[in-house]
Amino acid sequence: MPYEFEEILETIRMTEIEHFDIRTVTLGISLRDCHDRNLEVTKQKIYDKILKYGGNHVKYAKEIESQYGISIANKRVSITPVSIPFDSFSLEEYVEIAKTLDRAAEDIGIDYLAGFSALVQKGMTNGERELIKAIPFALSETKRVCSSVNIASTKAGINMDAVLMMSEAIKLTAEKTKDKDSIGCAKLVVFANAVEDNPFVAGAFHGVSEPEVTLNVGISGPGVVLDAIKEAGRVDLQHLAEVIKKTIFKITRAGELIGRKVAEKHGVPFGIVDISLAPTPAEGDSIADILKAMGVEDVGAPGTTAALAMLNDSVKKAGLMASSSVGGMSGAFIPVSEDMGMIRAVQAGHLTLEKLEAMTAVCSVGLDMIAVPGDTPATTIAGIIADESAIGVINDKTTAVRIIPAYGKKIGDYVDYGGLLGKAPIMKVSNLSSANFVERGGKIPAPMRSLTN
Amino acid sequence: MNISEEEIRKITFEAISQLGERATPEAVKEIVRKRVESASGSETKFLKSDTSSGRVILTSFGLNHPGIVAGVTKALGESNCDIQDLTQKLMGDFFTMIMVIDITESPKDLKEIQETMNKVAEELKIKIYLQHEDVFKFMHRI
Repeated sequence: MPYEFEEILETIRMTEIEHFDIRTVTLGISLRDCHDRNLEVTKQKIYDKILKYGGNHVKYAKEIESQYGISIANKRVSITPVSIPFDSFSLEEYVEIAKTLDRAAEDIGIDYLAGFSALVQKGMTNGERELIKAIPFALSETKRVCSSVNIASTKAGINMDAVLMMSEAIKLTAEKTKDKDSIGCAKLVVFANAVEDNPFVAGAFHGVSEPEVTLNVGISGPGVVLDAIKEAGRVDLQHLAEVIKKTIFKITRAGELIGRKVAEKHGVPFGIVDISLAPTPAEGDSIADILKAMGVEDVGAPGTTAALAMLNDSVKKAGLMASSSVGGMSGAFIPVSEDMGMIRAVQAGHLTLEKLEAMTAVCSVGLDMIAVPGDTPATTIAGIIADESAIGVINDKTTAVRIIPAYGKKIGDYVDYGGLLGKAPIMKVSNLSSANFVERGGKIPAPMRSLTN
Repeated sequence: MNISEEEIRKITFEAISQLGERATPEAVKEIVRKRVESASGSETKFLKSDTSSGRVILTSFGLNHPGIVAGVTKALGESNCDIQDLTQKLMGDFFTMIMVIDITESPKDLKEIQETMNKVAEELKIKIYLQHEDVFKFMHRI
């Protein structure tokens, strides 16, 4: 037998029992050649291009799925940040473009298309300002379009004018989608140091330095890591790090194989593997459970940040060894609504917004899928975004804020989206005001760390 | 795989310079056509050889009872799948069998074989999983 009995059973266990799956295959498509001064022509060009490259995306992924017996949970598309090729358009025209993107996504059979985005860390063009204003309308009038805006970077500092604009856009999006628990906000990410090849929606976009079209893969598998940690028993932490690395190594290899095969079917270059432990609301598919298995009583207990730091670092190291094209976020995601263990920790009062913020300093993203009371002022949200960006900018890492000021809801209520987005309890936000700070506007200058040349 | 206009232009210029004075529109066209065909031909060949060994790992397990191996192998035989290796273990009442099978000669593709085996699994009240060999190769061999 070319493989050991145990090796084969391990793979079967991972794919069949422990929810190991390819979380997403994301086809990145450049829209930079789709601009025309006539909006109708532009819309047609966008639609045609997405259908040209993405038309078979779902079909190809399904074929590879059945060939290799590994499930691919999501098939998605990312596009050039819309503000770049279409900078000359106005708010209303941007909303029209979003509707075209929505229609194209529906016609190729995908659930989300991401890249209604702008990169404004250093300043905003007129088009970018229009795009940010268009976000609440675009997200409330479409189903499949996701948006992200990068407002800070280590090289450029934090654009506080954009932070304030984004916090207002978030509030308006929440109001415009109030009938569906402010779901628009679940499709809107505010980034610091956004990466150009992230395959994970809602924050995905096809960066300006990317090729015409490329295929990126996001792999996950908290369940696999959880079982490996449980199986390891009471070993010291160095040993535990080794256990995590070995497990991640194997699933990254599988992810790379699947990604390359899907890219081959498309006949497009393979981009990157993003090995990120991303939870789902399914039982056992939880980062919180991993941290608990590592030894903290519940998420939020002292020691949680250290445990998460070790987990995140082990994931990165193993991914790096397993694939020569690691990219994207590559670490651990800690969204609240998408992780049963995190939801329970919030309900029990063990996990607060402040502790989550500390945790984001050592893991791959930021405050993700956090629901807060609907009457939280925009300036407070701006303060939260600024804090999170500061963590990213100073530590030279990506941070993100996906916050839902759930319209009309207060502490004790829930937002419930079902599916992968899950269910989030409304969390308490500090009542202290940030208004005088954030309303100063301007920029927080780039830190010392940016002067590396 | 398509060849870009840029590449075709390059091939055309090369052909013209090779032919020198003998260059006629027809001769150039002929050479370019051949070169384009061979270029796209080699690409498909590369893709094919790169895809797979055609081997699949079949794993089955469940409570032990007479007729499991017979049931599984009969269905594989009918689908013209070649069993290249087989190993099985009993742990108490629990039965596990792993097979390496070659499906290149089978008239069915992996998905159809999977469907056939699902029916067998249901009849025998066991679980059967089929996965391409490459998955195991990638995960367990460097």
